[in-house]
Amino acid sequence: MKNKIITLLFITSILMWNTGCRLDVAPTDAINTSSLLSTSDGLLNVTNGSYALFKDNIEFGGFVDQNNNYLRQYFQMSDFASDDITCAQVTEDPLFYSFTLTHSPDQANSRFFWYVSYKIINSTNTVIDLTSQLQNPDAATSQLIGENYFIRAFVHFNLLRFYAKPFSIDPTAPGVIIRQSVNEDAKKARSTVQECYDFVISDLKKAASLMNASRGPQYASKEAAWALLSRVYLYKEDQTNTIAFADSVINSGKFQLETAEGFKTYFPDAAASTETIMLIAFTSADNKGKFGSIASMIYSDGNSGWGEEFASQSIREEMAPHPEDVRWSYIDTLVDENGAIVQKNGIETFYIKKFSGQGGDPNLSSPVMFRLAEMYLNRAEAFAKSGETDKALADVDVIRSNRGLENALYNGVLPGNTTALDVVLKERRLELAFEGHRALDVYRNKRNMDRSYWGYHLPGLVATDIDLTKKPQGYANELVEWTNPRIIYFIPVDEVLANPLCIQNP
Amino acid sequence: MRNGLRKTRKLWILLALFCLTVPSFAQIIIKGSVTDAENHQTLPGATIAIKGTSQGTTTDAAGNYSIKVESTSDILIFGFVGYQREEVKIGDRTTIDIALVQDAVNLDQVIVMGYSDKKRTEISSSVAVLSMDKTRDATTGNIANMLQGKVAGVQVVSGTGSPGSESEIRIRGVASLSAPKGPLVVVDGIIGGNYDPNDVETITVLKDAGATGMYGSQANGGVIIVTTKKGKSDKPQMEFKSSVGFRIADQGHVSMMSGSQLYDTQKGLYRDYASGKIDIIKFYNERPLELDSRNFSWIDKMFKPALVQNYYLSARRSTDKFGYYIGASYFDEEGTFKNTNYKKVNLRANTSYNFSKRVSVENNINISANMGKSYDYMDMYYTYLSMPWDNPIDANGKIRYVDGTTTDWWSRDKINPLHTVDNSDHTFKGMDMNYDFVFKLQLTDWLSFSSSNRASLSSSKSHDFVSRLAAGTYHGKGYISEANQMGYGGISTNLLKFNYKLNDHVFSGLAGFEAQGSYYETLSAQGKGLPEGFEVLNVASSEFLIGGLNDKSMMRSFISQANYSYKSTYFLTGSYRIDATSAFPPANRTAHFPSFAASWLASNEQFLKGVSHLDLLKLRLSYGITGMKDIGAYQYLGLFSLNTQYNSSAAAVPYQLPNPNLTWERTHQFNVGIDLGLFKRISLNIDLYNNITKDLLIQVAQPLSVGFEKKWENVGQVSNKGLEITLSTINIKTYSFEWSTDFTFGKNSNKLSGIGTPIYRSVNGISQVYRDGGELYMFILAKWLGVDPATGAPQWEHLDKDANGNITARTATSDYAQATPQEIHSALPDFQGGIASNMRYKNFSLNMNFSYMVGNYVYNFSERTMDNDGHEPYYNQMVWKEGWSRWTKPGDDATHPSVQNSALSTENSSRYLQDGSYLKIRNITVKYDLPVAVAKKMRLQGLAISASAENVFTFTNYWGQDPEVTISSSSWQMPGVSDFKYPGNKQYVLNLEVRF
Repeated sequence: MKNKIITLLFITSILMWNTGCRLDVAPTDAINTSSLLSTSDGLLNVTNGSYALFKDNIEFGGFVDQNNNYLRQYFQMSDFASDDITCAQVTEDPLFYSFTLTHSPDQANSRFFWYVSYKIINSTNTVIDLTSQLQNPDAATSQLIGENYFIRAFVHFNLLRFYAKPFSIDPTAPGVIIRQSVNEDAKKARSTVQECYDFVISDLKKAASLMNASRGPQYASKEAAWALLSRVYLYKEDQTNTIAFADSVINSGKFQLETAEGFKTYFPDAAASTETIMLIAFTSADNKGKFGSIASMIYSDGNSGWGEEFASQSIREEMAPHPEDVRWSYIDTLVDENGAIVQKNGIETFYIKKFSGQGGDPNLSSPVMFRLAEMYLNRAEAFAKSGETDKALADVDVIRSNRGLENALYNGVLPGNTTALDVVLKERRLELAFEGHRALDVYRNKRNMDRSYWGYHLPGLVATDIDLTKKPQGYANELVEWTNPRIIYFIPVDEVLANPLCIQNP
Repeated sequence: MRNGLRKTRKLWILLALFCLTVPSFAQIIIKGSVTDAENHQTLPGATIAIKGTSQGTTTDAAGNYSIKVESTSDILIFGFVGYQREEVKIGDRTTIDIALVQDAVNLDQVIVMGYSDKKRTEISSSVAVLSMDKTRDATTGNIANMLQGKVAGVQVVSGTGSPGSESEIRIRGVASLSAPKGPLVVVDGIIGGNYDPNDVETITVLKDAGATGMYGSQANGGVIIVTTKKGKSDKPQMEFKSSVGFRIADQGHVSMMSGSQLYDTQKGLYRDYASGKIDIIKFYNERPLELDSRNFSWIDKMFKPALVQNYYLSARRSTDKFGYYIGASYFDEEGTFKNTNYKKVNLRANTSYNFSKRVSVENNINISANMGKSYDYMDMYYTYLSMPWDNPIDANGKIRYVDGTTTDWWSRDKINPLHTVDNSDHTFKGMDMNYDFVFKLQLTDWLSFSSSNRASLSSSKSHDFVSRLAAGTYHGKGYISEANQMGYGGISTNLLKFNYKLNDHVFSGLAGFEAQGSYYETLSAQGKGLPEGFEVLNVASSEFLIGGLNDKSMMRSFISQANYSYKSTYFLTGSYRIDATSAFPPANRTAHFPSFAASWLASNEQFLKGVSHLDLLKLRLSYGITGMKDIGAYQYLGLFSLNTQYNSSAAAVPYQLPNPNLTWERTHQFNVGIDLGLFKRISLNIDLYNNITKDLLIQVAQPLSVGFEKKWENVGQVSNKGLEITLSTINIKTYSFEWSTDFTFGKNSNKLSGIGTPIYRSVNGISQVYRDGGELYMFILAKWLGVDPATGAPQWEHLDKDANGNITARTATSDYAQATPQEIHSALPDFQGGIASNMRYKNFSLNMNFSYMVGNYVYNFSERTMDNDGHEPYYNQMVWKEGWSRWTKPGDDATHPSVQNSALSTENSSRYLQDGSYLKIRNITVKYDLPVAVAKKMRLQGLAISASAENVFTFTNYWGQDPEVTISSSSWQMPGVSDFKYPGNKQYVLNLEVRF
């Protein structure tokens, strides 16, 4: 009896040990990378994932920071470094360094931007690597592969704007690290700006040829590839190709500029507009709220955001002669019950509304990556640089006539003391304000940026120093020359430490 | 000694014979009881002898005795195994109640070691035992607080005073960089489990591999073995305990400015840099004089004294056949911060039944449930930083609604935290059930089998709600987010144990299998658009989000241990464990954990027997390997995560790089120790250890350009070397007065090596580095050099380095960008420990506990905003330390820069890194025990009342809230950083204990 009990107990325990306890376990919400193409929608899921990474707050440094998503950093690192937006509140958020130019290799926003950019690239490379062996893919699959080429090019190109000198300034300068396969060595050097441009152009041409089954403005398309090619050639100072690809988009017949009336409500519902070539779709599930939306720093309805950075005195002065300009719709003056402009730390409150209003929500929008107006402006700039002033002014007038300025057209006449390029760049500034263009447009044209207006980009400024009746004087940072090394950011410290082949920016 | 004893016995017989010849005149009957001096349990079977006679008696089951004596000048000798003998002169008393004190060195004490029990003398490892008498001074819901300062080498940190929060425990430093660093908890011999502090009989802390090796891969952080109460005596015993008191928030050195203090301070903002004069007109223009008299104390409003209550009722009994212990406890703490609290109910039933002499079973059930309210970090933040010029309550006594459009509100972010707290809710609930089934079978007189099994089930729910009425991002919408987690699992340990004696040789040991598995299933949902007054998901109308996933982990093990002792003087122990886990790739799933320990009980040697006053001398040595695997499941797979969407379609994003070679982290532990007992009054333990953790599981930084931040790899090692001293002494001991002290000291130093490329971690811009030759939790900061007396500008140190990285020049710079980040101090202490003093005068006792920590540095992140040089004029500021000053004119030797020349002065730098060394009065308890005779009349076995004060005072130079800050390294928390934490508590409690 006793022996039986013992035997039974032993058999039971050994059985439990061996079978009750299988050691192969798999996650319930992730796919093994190697089996991505084994499901019917794996390719689609991964491609969609690349877009999702433009909006998602993903883990970085061990946690998910509500501040950190690609587009928030993209717009802040672009426009907070420009003369369009002024800072009314010192902050521990590293967005502050874009104002003050006190960049460092370990500023969290730049590190995240670099990281998530290459994560998107890894995602596209995974698809490109896995599909390289596919024979005769169907149109839908080709479209998806083309989108991956497009995204890879777009993300590399956006990295160049932050981390490499503009092509026009020095094409032989270090560009960024080109990643074109997941199987590359982790340690890799930066290619030159010239090499990066060549890579981007080649990807985009391939993308344009593959994408023949457009999925809507929320995704890349043949026309989006042309639009980006036009932008790339513009930055590359290749006027002929700039004009050619802008033409391709304009003449595709798929897009039409918003009218002055339509433009007032364009940004809250850009997906429905014929002006939009491509945007990144945010649904209500992607509302980042006060802590992470693009809008929250530049707009607040009193509760929705921080509302700490405002349209600068500089851009408002540029727009001042034309109160009828419908682009004023996106600048919102905050006044108190007596009609006085409310100040924040001594700075007047002019909210920016280009990233608000989708579904009525102050923090929600689907940021526009490419729209038709830019094509006219790209072309206008290329014409201006090619000496074709009439064509340049005509393109500018196309924009102005759709922005409530039909009574203030150039009609082929260049105002005194200005060049065609001045006119084009001014229009470009007003039209594309707060959309991430301004700082680079100034520097790539080897112009200096005048930031002699009140704001906390001025080092050491305290509220009690501000006198709005005067211009600030004697502060550093009032004028940023295009030769200043801080027109671009440092390569994030993580890259330089782990990849000794990658050299740091001066 | 033995010869001496024989002589004494002969003498006694002679004396007794002599006494018999003396005629007796009278007989006095003395009655009384014998109890334990510390826990007041009665001691049945204690001996009472009349000194100089052979007469004597023993106490009955209730601990009472009655003895006849001849003379009032007789002396009674009270004795009990494991206790110090007491001699008492009778005098004119007829009732003598005596409380015996346990021997400082209790050689026969059986120590629960987890898989096996051992006598203290047999143990070759570094082990500390705490009976609950030593720990239950603290009224708290968790055991960690009770260990604070009481075990050498055990660091306990309560980094937050949030209701229901657990303290952090580190045994012998930090052995792992990635995984949970706390110890493994074993309840009633089975890994894991739940318990209430009131139900605990003893706690054993296993510190070296000689003891922890048995737990293999789970024992890197040491092991804490908790044993709950069992039936003890034949007679039913019941105990009731109640503790009621209150807490107040311990703000330490932090006090925020009053309205007029701030008003005065803000004048400094209007100083003209060049002339040094204050532009008083502008000041009065922008800061109306009426502000000077506005004085709202946000801290007083948001923090209140809070009630804490703990009730406990238990019954226990044990017979030859059957034993039981039933305990119920209720713990209820209000939080000092508004709208926070925690409640816990715990029920335990332990039963044992002996079917025969050979077969017995135990059934233990523990059910606990808790619920509480947490807080939002921003509410805490605004409590400190809201300005005293703002009053959250309007003229009608209603709480004001404030938002970005409110104009008559000074504080920076235009929000009324009082309103937010009143219109939001952050609750959590949890339930946990354990059922243990233990079957023991004595196969032969030297061989037995035991099967220990536990099934566990837990469930928790969190609920976050913000009303549509609250200002802020959810205004007009409302927000609700709920998450449920269910966990279930089991563990089964099946062991054959033997214990075989052959003359002077004793062999014992065990071997068997263990299997454990755990499953978690989570579900979460959130939504917005809630009608006013409702806070369930069902009423949400927009922006729905859902989440959920399942997780499981599995482990199976082979366990063995062999012990040998010779003449109870030489002891050898070897153990061997094999673990296989689901956490690693198939090739690396199995790992081996051997350990070895030996000890020599020198005081048992013949040649030391003659040394008087030497109670114990023991030398110990151990070496072994423990491991670590708790980095989460699937970390070796390459993965794309499906937890997102794009444009409402499924989306997969790169999540993890594969590492098919990932393997265990192993710690090689070496320990030598000495235990010394002298004069039956002094007990001294000294341990030296050297623990080297190899193949550290680290997320090694990748070039970000591969698209991944890091990859799990086994890289480098960390060594922890240390010294631990425990000294317990009985300083004074008379019949009516006793005083004993315990002193613990633990020093640990660590060093990293083999890391290669340094690994930097950064949270909120504060960085720490893991590098070869470096220390853990070392801050890397710009070095603050104070204020330039000439300009009033902040200064940091700039280092010039040559090509080899050697420093060639150190200069001061006022340009923060030029400041060179450098290693400055670690968050870990040089040494730490505690002091306990126990005094008893008759029925009164006074116990005091102190804990200390030296050399730990604290980064006071909150000070960046609470003392911000005018960068944030719309935040309240903290009151300055004596001697601080602001630069106003050239030549000033100031601690704080000129407001007008302070660019980036509050950026992260060593300016905010402070020495956090402290000595804390943890506990002072005054207790009165009702004399046993009086209690008897009340038909009680005992009654005691006591009053205790906890965290009464902290001696420290740290100018902040509390130098006791978290040393956890989590993704959002840098060890040693203090950031608007929930303050700790000072606690004052009255206790009543009744035994019947």
